[in-house]
Amino acid sequence: MRIGLRNLILAAAAVVALAAAGAALFVHLGIYDVAATRQHTRPVFDLLEYAQRRAVSRRAGPAPDLADSRRVQAGARIYSRHCLQCHGAPGIAPDALAYGMTPEPANLVATAREWPAGEIYWVVRHGIKMTGMPAWNRHLSDEEMWDVVAFVMALPQMSPSEYATFDPQARERNAAPAEAAPQPPPMAAAPDRVTPAAIGDIEAGRRAIDGYLCATCHVIPGVVGAQRAVGPPLAGIAGRRYIAGIAVNTPENMIRWLRDPQRMDPLSAMPNLGVSEQDARDIAAYLYTLEDPE
Amino acid sequence: MPDIALRLSPQDGCASMKSFLLRLAPLALLLALAGCGRDAPPVSVAGGDPARGKALVRDFGCAACHVVPGIAGHGSNVGPPLQKMGVRAYIGGVLPNTPEDMVRWLRDPPAVDPRTAMPNLGLSDAEARDIAAFLYTLR
Repeated sequence: MRIGLRNLILAAAAVVALAAAGAALFVHLGIYDVAATRQHTRPVFDLLEYAQRRAVSRRAGPAPDLADSRRVQAGARIYSRHCLQCHGAPGIAPDALAYGMTPEPANLVATAREWPAGEIYWVVRHGIKMTGMPAWNRHLSDEEMWDVVAFVMALPQMSPSEYATFDPQARERNAAPAEAAPQPPPMAAAPDRVTPAAIGDIEAGRRAIDGYLCATCHVIPGVVGAQRAVGPPLAGIAGRRYIAGIAVNTPENMIRWLRDPQRMDPLSAMPNLGVSEQDARDIAAYLYTLEDPE
Repeated sequence: MPDIALRLSPQDGCASMKSFLLRLAPLALLLALAGCGRDAPPVSVAGGDPARGKALVRDFGCAACHVVPGIAGHGSNVGPPLQKMGVRAYIGGVLPNTPEDMVRWLRDPPAVDPRTAMPNLGLSDAEARDIAAFLYTLR
């Protein structure tokens, strides 16, 4: 087989031109949905996440010694003033504005397990384009930014009640009086098979999961970006006997748990996210579609 | 027809693809290394041995309630599955996932959270350390 080089070049040019025209049309016609109510498609999400990680790691530098507990305390004060609103804290939900953001602001309690301090500092200092993460370089001093990093580095060792010692008001805002619970709960039989659609609207629940930032902490099948191991994975939650290890898995308990976890277990790191009754029903309906993986 | 032409036979195609891939290999390796570079060794538990821990997980029947990667039988869905336990942020939803807290939890869960359904299995300190060491290999 013999192909003329000129023809080959022409063919390649035609392909490139067509692809460019297609891309231009895709953009011009506004086909990609920029609404924050929809998560990115999975390939776009994965690409952006990877690109962000690589870009940060390429630019970040080394970190000073951050073990000083005064640094952690100073960082905690700055965190509760400037970071908590979007990122939440152990046992504390973010403010309402964070719920509407796409990408969802990361839960930071386990970030330091994977991110070196230098990279966290870089993100605090420079922010990240088109994520809502601002650059703090003009508003915080270098030392203050490192204080925040020291606090984030200490988060993986911090229980919700330890965090409360740093920020008592946040805890009060969040806390509800705990209800009496059987201690421990009775040995549960396998949960009765429930009909998800009888509990709520499955598709609305799927969307509400994005709206309440569930993906920032749990692996949830069918939810783009839900790959964090802050809390337990939710695959198979329909057949799990206990909810959060403390309540028998019934739709009623699930809805109560989703609405106010710390009312059922005051020690839980899962915060009260202000989920409405209807949203809780819909989310529960979606969760009961997640049968055992095998 | 110009003098320079591309002659493509099936064999040539294969060979050039092969050399292209070979040239890509170092790049792919670099990418793989960059990706793997972050994988620090599992968190170690003072006095804990992951291999002994794995045997203890089998002996104590942890799979009667949990799906445990690497343990024969698919485990049970009473409590949460334990995959990625080595990188999970919290233990039992209440304790930060540190080696000492893991040992504390394994030795007596209700002492940590009176509401938990996970019973005190009467593990010794040494047994709890071994099991904790095994759990930190799950990532």
